[in-house]
Amino acid sequence: MSELTKKINLILKVWRQKGPKDVGSFKEYEAKGVSTDASFLEMLDAVNEELISKGDDPIAFDHDCREGICGSCGFMIDGEAHGPQKSTTVCQLHMRAFKEGDVLTLEPWRASAFPIIKDLMADRSAMDRIIMAGGYISANTGGARDANSILISKNDADQAFNAATCIGCGACVASCKNAAAMLFTAAKVSHLALLPQGQIERKTRAERMVAQMDAEGFGACTSTGSCSASCPKDISLVNIAQMNREFLKAKVFKEDQVDVGGGF
Amino acid sequence: MSKILDGKIPDGSIDKKWTDHKFKMKLVNPANKRKHSVIVVGTGLAGASAAASLGELGYRVKAFCVHESPRRAHSVAAQGGINAAKNYQNDGDSVYRLFYDTVKGGDFRAREANVHRLAEISVNIIDQAVASGVPLARDYGGLLDNRSFGGAQVSRTFYARGQTGQQLLLGAYSSMMRQVDLGNVQLNYRREMLDLVIVDGRARGIIVRNLLTGEIEAHEADVVILASGGYSNVFYLSTNAMACAVTAAWKAHKKGAYFANPCYTQIHPTCIPVHGENQSKLTLMSESLRNDGRVWVPKLKDDKRHPSDIPDAERDYYLERVYPSFGNLAPRDVASRQAKYRCDEGRGVGESGKAVYLDFRDAIGRLGESKISERYGNLFQMYEKITGENPYKQPMRIYPAPHYTMGGLWVDYNLESNIPGLFVAGEANFSDHGANRLGASALMQGLGDGYFVLPYTVGNYIANTKLEKVEKTHDEFKRAQETVKSEITKLMNIRGNRTVESFHKELGHIMWEYCGMGRNEAGLKRALELIPKLREEFWQNVRVPGESNYLNPELEKAGRVADFLELGELMCRDALERKESCGGHFREEYQEDGEAKRDDENFSHVAAWEWTGANSPPVRHKEELKFENVKLATRSYK
Amino acid sequence: MSLSLPHGFLTSTIGKKYLMGLAGAVWAGFVLSHMAGNLLMFISADAYNSYGHALTSGNIIYAIELILVGTLISHVFLAISLTRQNRAARTSGYAVSPRGEKVARFGSKTMGVQGSIVLVFIISHLITFKYGTYYETTVNGVVMRDLYRLMVEVFQQPGYVFWYLVCLVLLGVHLSHGVGSVFQSFGLMNGRYQPIFRKLSLAYAVIVALGFIAQPIYIYFVASLG
Repeated sequence: MSELTKKINLILKVWRQKGPKDVGSFKEYEAKGVSTDASFLEMLDAVNEELISKGDDPIAFDHDCREGICGSCGFMIDGEAHGPQKSTTVCQLHMRAFKEGDVLTLEPWRASAFPIIKDLMADRSAMDRIIMAGGYISANTGGARDANSILISKNDADQAFNAATCIGCGACVASCKNAAAMLFTAAKVSHLALLPQGQIERKTRAERMVAQMDAEGFGACTSTGSCSASCPKDISLVNIAQMNREFLKAKVFKEDQVDVGGGF
Repeated sequence: MSKILDGKIPDGSIDKKWTDHKFKMKLVNPANKRKHSVIVVGTGLAGASAAASLGELGYRVKAFCVHESPRRAHSVAAQGGINAAKNYQNDGDSVYRLFYDTVKGGDFRAREANVHRLAEISVNIIDQAVASGVPLARDYGGLLDNRSFGGAQVSRTFYARGQTGQQLLLGAYSSMMRQVDLGNVQLNYRREMLDLVIVDGRARGIIVRNLLTGEIEAHEADVVILASGGYSNVFYLSTNAMACAVTAAWKAHKKGAYFANPCYTQIHPTCIPVHGENQSKLTLMSESLRNDGRVWVPKLKDDKRHPSDIPDAERDYYLERVYPSFGNLAPRDVASRQAKYRCDEGRGVGESGKAVYLDFRDAIGRLGESKISERYGNLFQMYEKITGENPYKQPMRIYPAPHYTMGGLWVDYNLESNIPGLFVAGEANFSDHGANRLGASALMQGLGDGYFVLPYTVGNYIANTKLEKVEKTHDEFKRAQETVKSEITKLMNIRGNRTVESFHKELGHIMWEYCGMGRNEAGLKRALELIPKLREEFWQNVRVPGESNYLNPELEKAGRVADFLELGELMCRDALERKESCGGHFREEYQEDGEAKRDDENFSHVAAWEWTGANSPPVRHKEELKFENVKLATRSYK
Repeated sequence: MSLSLPHGFLTSTIGKKYLMGLAGAVWAGFVLSHMAGNLLMFISADAYNSYGHALTSGNIIYAIELILVGTLISHVFLAISLTRQNRAARTSGYAVSPRGEKVARFGSKTMGVQGSIVLVFIISHLITFKYGTYYETTVNGVVMRDLYRLMVEVFQQPGYVFWYLVCLVLLGVHLSHGVGSVFQSFGLMNGRYQPIFRKLSLAYAVIVALGFIAQPIYIYFVASLG
């Protein structure tokens, strides 16, 4: 669409792995005559169409909305989560970021907590389980009071929003040398800790979510900052500091459990 | 035989119907709720909110999603906002006005009672969303902020920057995950519903394919809720996500559920134009951009000058010219059609000539770049990523694209289809938007259905129905499983020469050409010849690689395209039969000065189609629409 | 409310990071004071020796040593435990390393290697000095150890100087990332202070490293001539 549309040729080295238990390896493919206006995934679509025509198995990759919001897509391009551009998911990455003759290595997210399903697809359900462990506000339907009776300063609302924009793509885990899910978990902990509605469960949430994060086998934070640098939504490291604080407070100033007795 | 359907609209005045109906409904006592199970297919706004709410009530819920995580449902992509009749802005809004705007916006083809209920519960939705931690935009005093949206003259749209859908979905998703945590909802991800199971005339279960292992599983329940979204992907290129499909709804249709108003499709006016043959999807630019952006084309035909070189006097701000009172905020169907007219006149811009400008120059001049960036920053960024052009410096180029489908499975006032025990919610049903949906109303309907309608009506159904226990070993389950398996085997064994994608693309071209923004008899008849031929070729010549007992995205796609190939035909048939223009359904034969011309005498009804088998034509049933509160009038935004 | 050491704190990754950071912070404080004390050598040999004597002549030194050894051991053990956990979390690396804007922060990826070398350095440093040749000297009538002489002897050997240079630069790198991370682990980082903390930790590391490095360099190039 832009006036500078070009056609380029690329070599792709793609990780191929049939199933979770199979051994994978890199295979080389040519992507010919790729329009620089195409998205990265559209380029892969074209490669796949050719593979299918030749009777080969197409390259499997997760994707859905293709506009950077659903969090389905994501793999490493030359060791960088979602490719070279900052604040971008791989579906938003366009081929104008590459040039004629580039050789690109595509690998799935690698983390013990993200077993590989096939080719470039990894199983990120561990993230759902982290949310399940308290990444919510217990507000049954129907009991809510008028939305404007809760005042939230614009600053708090904006900060909470910034944390809440996490799309759960897993790039933070993939790019961390320790495969830590700190940024993901912290984004949710911060989002809810910053809002008045989230105060009641603030401590148990931090405790439980961190415990689940550890139980899933994610690593620890060594503050390398690569998670935030790779995050398509620019979630800040500040959230991790906030989670650390929430966790310490939760552990140190824990209320004693009140015995509610049995029955009523 | 054509039937007249009963929408089961409660008696009484419009503002009392829902309240009275809720009181009259039977309740299930808390201890008994645990004994009943509900299947929810789809975990978007409607599905997730329904699963969460029913789980909270104590039902045993089984939720299914085709994605790896419920949070990825396509509701996540809604940008602009959600309407609610809060009247926080003191600008004259009310439940009645939201009701009125929605009925009028739907070009008088929606059920009044449903729309009024939606307007009533809209206020609770916002409360619920905020309570569950959704960070909706606030103003400096800490109160909720609103913006304007198309088709309304009040500011009633709540928003979270350009990611309202995402934030609302995460709210509903987290509530559902809480119920998963508590053991009330059992989550089944990467499962695609491939059949509905009916036992003794009632919906009692579904057959799904485990997308990771290819296993064909049966799941039984007392109630089945479909919240599986819309079917815009029949056009191949649409703003819908890649996995959006009609499959779940279509399988239910083939099991007897009526499909209502399939020709009501919404073409969204502000999308990034098509750039080439390999494009896989279109990207929406939120309607909220029309709050500050001005739409124009050059007055001269084939004007190839750079937009900034075209002086104001040589620009046609056509929406402001044609619709002085609504201007750039004219409803979607109207704005889309006007864009098409301009491009048909040869005044379209860009390489293809199929685009118009959406210009922020004046708003940036008035408010400054930082204010515009605060309002639409992420949208501008998205635009730049896709096109490589900076919308702060030069106008966006936009063109209409399929976006939402108002048609869907027919449901009565209780959101129950004609199959007892099968409920349909959100975009998958046809209920609330008539022939055209207003902006920021889809989120409202999805959450309304899930949070506040289904928990009541599903309970009423359970309380009123004697539900025998059904086992998965029942013959109907076995038979359905066998049918699904044999269909998959059939697809795998064709081993033809054309890719699934190529069929989908061709179908999309046919649909866009003949059943898109403008439709006419000759074109629709042509499409009705082309589609069956294409379908025939598909079943003889499609190539599905790989194996069926592994993850196989091509097989998934093939199944979905097979269903689109049947749906497409029904859409054209419906469009052909509806000899009037209304909302998103524009028949070129029926117009007045380029505006849609309804035929209330003959078409003030819902068309609900019954599947009668692969080789016999579907039957068109009717549900008459009565307008007792909003007077039927020609919709005018001038 | 109870303040007993809570369940699950020590076994959690964040809890471990806290304690590791805490132990690291003790050492960060120690190296600064050690470096500052050493600077007395620029005043005179006597000042330097007197300072050493004052430090070691009371009983307090045993308490300090106990704390230092304790924190060092916990720092090292926690590091090993976390590293094992981190290795298990990521069993295979990527074929290509990132080059562009998404690379990890300088020094952060090799904390383990830096730490290990620094540990070896600490031990060898103790052997060289604390348990090195015992010379005696008398300052103002008080008999004390002549550490200054030992130091001059040691730093006249280019091999030692080189080894100290390498290790002290590594210590600086380790500190620059570590001190900043302590703020992060303790949850003290927030948006406004983040850049300040980062700069402070860098400045801290540079000061400590340069302060230490100044000594061998000075002795090798200047003092030994005299």
